[in-house]
Amino acid sequence: MSQHSPRILAIDAGGTMTDTFVVDETGAFTIGKAQTTPDQESEGLLTSFDDALRYWNTDRASVMPKLQTTVYSGTSMLNRLLERRGDGPIGVLVSAGMEDYFRMERAAQTYAGYAFSDRLHVVTHVHNQPLVPRRFIKGIRERTSFFGEEVVPLYRGEVAEAVRQLCHDGITALCISFLFSYRDPRHELEAENIVRQVLQEEGYDIPVYLSSRSNPVRGDLARLNTLVVEVYAARPSRQQLFDIRDRMKAEGSTAPVRVLASYGGTVSPDVEWLVTTLISGPIGGILGSRRLADLYHLENLVCTDVGGTSFDVGLITERELLTRTEPTVARFLLTLPTLAMDSIGAGTGTLVRVDPAVKRVTLGPDSAGYRLGVCNPDSGIIVPSITDCDVALGYINPDYFLGGEVHIDRERALAAIEEQIARPLGTDPFTAAEGVVRLLETQMRDHLYGMVLGMGYAPENYTLLGYGGGGPLHVAGYTVGLKFQDVLVPSWAAAFSAFGGACADYSYRYDRSVDMLIRANPSERQMMAAGLNQAWQLLHQRIAEEFIRDGLNPDAMTFLPSVRMQYLGMLDDIEVRATWPIDPDHGLDELIERFDSLFAKIFARSARSPETGYFVTTAIGVGVQVTEKPVLPKFALKGADPSRGAHKGQRSLYWNAEWHQANLWEMDRLESGNEIVGPAVIEAPATTLLVPPGMRAAMDAYRIFHLTSK
Amino acid sequence: MHYDDKTLAELISGNLPWSETKDIMSGEKDNDRFHMIVDILQKSVTFSERILLPLGPHLYIVQKGTERVVKCDCGQEFGDYRMNWKMKSRVFVRDSEPSLQELYHPSQGVDTSWMELREFYCPGCYALLETEAVPLGYPVVFDFQPDLETFYEQWLHEPLPSS
Repeated sequence: MSQHSPRILAIDAGGTMTDTFVVDETGAFTIGKAQTTPDQESEGLLTSFDDALRYWNTDRASVMPKLQTTVYSGTSMLNRLLERRGDGPIGVLVSAGMEDYFRMERAAQTYAGYAFSDRLHVVTHVHNQPLVPRRFIKGIRERTSFFGEEVVPLYRGEVAEAVRQLCHDGITALCISFLFSYRDPRHELEAENIVRQVLQEEGYDIPVYLSSRSNPVRGDLARLNTLVVEVYAARPSRQQLFDIRDRMKAEGSTAPVRVLASYGGTVSPDVEWLVTTLISGPIGGILGSRRLADLYHLENLVCTDVGGTSFDVGLITERELLTRTEPTVARFLLTLPTLAMDSIGAGTGTLVRVDPAVKRVTLGPDSAGYRLGVCNPDSGIIVPSITDCDVALGYINPDYFLGGEVHIDRERALAAIEEQIARPLGTDPFTAAEGVVRLLETQMRDHLYGMVLGMGYAPENYTLLGYGGGGPLHVAGYTVGLKFQDVLVPSWAAAFSAFGGACADYSYRYDRSVDMLIRANPSERQMMAAGLNQAWQLLHQRIAEEFIRDGLNPDAMTFLPSVRMQYLGMLDDIEVRATWPIDPDHGLDELIERFDSLFAKIFARSARSPETGYFVTTAIGVGVQVTEKPVLPKFALKGADPSRGAHKGQRSLYWNAEWHQANLWEMDRLESGNEIVGPAVIEAPATTLLVPPGMRAAMDAYRIFHLTSK
Repeated sequence: MHYDDKTLAELISGNLPWSETKDIMSGEKDNDRFHMIVDILQKSVTFSERILLPLGPHLYIVQKGTERVVKCDCGQEFGDYRMNWKMKSRVFVRDSEPSLQELYHPSQGVDTSWMELREFYCPGCYALLETEAVPLGYPVVFDFQPDLETFYEQWLHEPLPSS
C-alpha cells in the first residue's frame, strides 16, 4: 500500500502528449505521461494519470475518492482553430456596411504571427480563410455612436429577414456584434428579441451570442473574432470537458474539474465564456513562477520556458504580472485578457541550416517539435535540430531520453551535422554544433535581456527561473554574462507548467470597456465614480451567476475590482487594483496614485506623463474562490557531497572548443544540500541539467537547483 | 531546403498549397534553384531554343543562334532583349469610362482624365503579357533589361552561352 494520498491532479493535454502532475497531502508530487487521444481526451488523461501513480505504487481506484481538485489545460481548442476544424456554419449579424470584417481583417491579420523579415516582405502577407463565409454575414442598418447615443434606429425588418435567410442556409449558431454595442447594448438586445421570435416561428433551435454580453470591450474586429472563436473552437471542447468530468466522476472522484484560463485563474467547464481557456500553455509556467516567487520572497523574477518550438519569457516585476488584453492567436486578433509572455521561435526542436549564399547559420523558423530531430530515426526529419547538436556535444544521454523510451542515434545526428552544417562552413561537426547551440542561446539571451532592459531594470535586479523540457539544458548558456541575482532550476522543470496549473485559484474574470477621462471638476468625478461602480456591479452580478451555477456561495467570493488605465494618448494601458464601491470624493485620487506608482514600477518613473491626463479604458472584475495548492515539501539539508549511488559514470562533453570529462548524476538520487561541480550532467527521465565547466549547481531544501559560477 | 522538381513545378503552376508556397518564399534559395526552374520552364514551352532567363509570365529571353531574343511560350518572337518587347505586342488601352467599367464598379477605377490602363497582348496566342497604369501620353515603360553577363558570371558562376 502506498503512503501517498493524492490531492491535486493537474493535466496538461498537449497535441501529442498528455502530462499529469499529481500532488499528495504533503506536497510531494509525481509526473505521468501518455499519448494524447484527441477523439476522447479522457482516455489519454487516465492513462497518463495511471503512469504517474505507478511511481507511487498505487492505483486509480483507490486514489480517485481522495482527490480534492482537478485542473485541466490543453491545446485542443487552439489546434481546432489552427487547423480550421471548428463548428459551423455560424451566422453573423453586424452593422450594415461592416460585412467584410473577415475579408479585410484590418490588414493587420494578414501578417499576424509572422517573423519580422516576413512582415516587411509584403508579398508573403496573406488573408486568412474566413471562419465565417461572406454569405453567412448579414449587415443590419443601425448605429450607436462612440458615446452610446442612438444615431440610426435598428431596422427591425432587416433582422427578421436576415435570420430567416440564415436559418434557411442551415446555421448552427448566431453571433450578433454591432458597432459600439459595448457602450450601449440596446440594439443588440432588441435584435436578439427579434431573432428569438423568428427562430420560434421557424421552429429552429440554435444558440444566440451577443458581443455586448460576452465581451463588452472596445475593438470591433477583435470583439467579433473572439465571439466567433467561442462558437467555432471553444464550444466543441465543452463536450470533451464534460466527458472528462463524467469519467472522473464515474471513477469515483468528487473533485470538481476546473479549466485553466489565460488570465491565470481556473473556471468550470460550464463557464459561459469558454474561449478564455483558449491559451493556457505558457500560463501554467507563470503561475508556478509566481508561487516560487512567494516561497522565496522574490520581488523580481524572470520566467523562462524552453519548449520544443519556442522560448517564452515572462516577467514578474515588484511582484506584479503584466496582463495583455488583445493577444494574437492563430493569426486572429482577440480580446482575451492574457498573462503576458513574449515568445521567440527558438526551442530545442528548432531546425538548423546554413544559408548557401552567405554561408551563415540560420535557426528555424520551423521546428522538429516533439519529433526531436535527425537523431530520432523514426522522425522523418532530415534537417538537424538543436537537439541533434545537444546530442552530438554530449549534453544529452542518447540512452536515457524520456527515461530511455525514445531511441536516439548519435551517429545519425553527427552525420547530418557534418554534411549539412560543418562541411559548408568548412569546420568540424563539433565546432559547428557548439557554434549553433551558442547562437541559439545568444538569441535567447538577447530576447530576455531586451525584456529586462525594456522594463527599465538590469539583470542584477532579477532572479531567473529556467524550466520547460529544454530549460535546464540551456539555462547556463543563455544566462552567461548576465549577472542575475540567482538562477533557479526546479528539479521538476519538465512538468513545471502543470505544477503551475495546480497553483491556480478558482476565478472568473470579466472585462467591460468604460473609456472615461478623469476630470478635475468634482461633480464630473462623482458621475465617473458612479459609472465605475455600476460597471463593477454588472461584473459582480455576472460572476455571482457563474458561482451559483458551479454550486459555490457567491457571498464567500473574494471580488477583486480593478481598472485598466493609461496616460491619455499613450498606447498601453495597465491594470490597477481598485476598491469597490469607489469613494465618489477621494476614490479617483487614490486610483491615480496607485496608477502612477505602478506605472513607475512596470515602465519607468521618468516616463510618467500626468500632465496629459488619466484615462480609464476598462473596468475589470475578478471573482476568486481560493483553492488548495501544492505545498512544496521541504527536505532536510544533507552535505555538499552527493551519495555514491547518485553517480552514473562519466561522459565526454564539448564546451568552449574543448572536450571535458563530465560526471553524470541521477537527479532523483541527489539530495537537498548536494552540490554538483561542473563539468557535469544531471539526468532525469524528462529533463537534463547541464552544469558547464566553471559552474556549480546546488540543490536546496525544495529540490530546486541554484546555478552559480564557481 | 532542397525542393524536388515536382514541388517546383507546382509552385510555377500555382498548384502548391499556400503554406508550402510561403515557406519557399520566406526560405533561402538553393544554389541550383535557378537551373531547376529553367529546366521545368524549358519543358513547358513549344520552342527548342535555350532559355537564358525568364522575364515574367509567358516571356523568356532565349539564345537563338548568336542572338538573344524575347520569346513567348507560344513561340512568338519579340526581337532583341535589349529592345522593349512591348513595341512588338498588341496593345489595348482603357481610357474611357465604358472600357474601365468592364473591370471596375462605377464608383471605383481610375479617373480617365488623369490616367489610362494599357494591356499588352501576345500577337501569337493573345495571352495577356503585362499591364501598365500610367498618366495619359506617358511613354511605354521599359520594365526590365537584365545584365545577363554579370548574372551568369558573378551569380551563377558560369559562362553566358553565346550560341
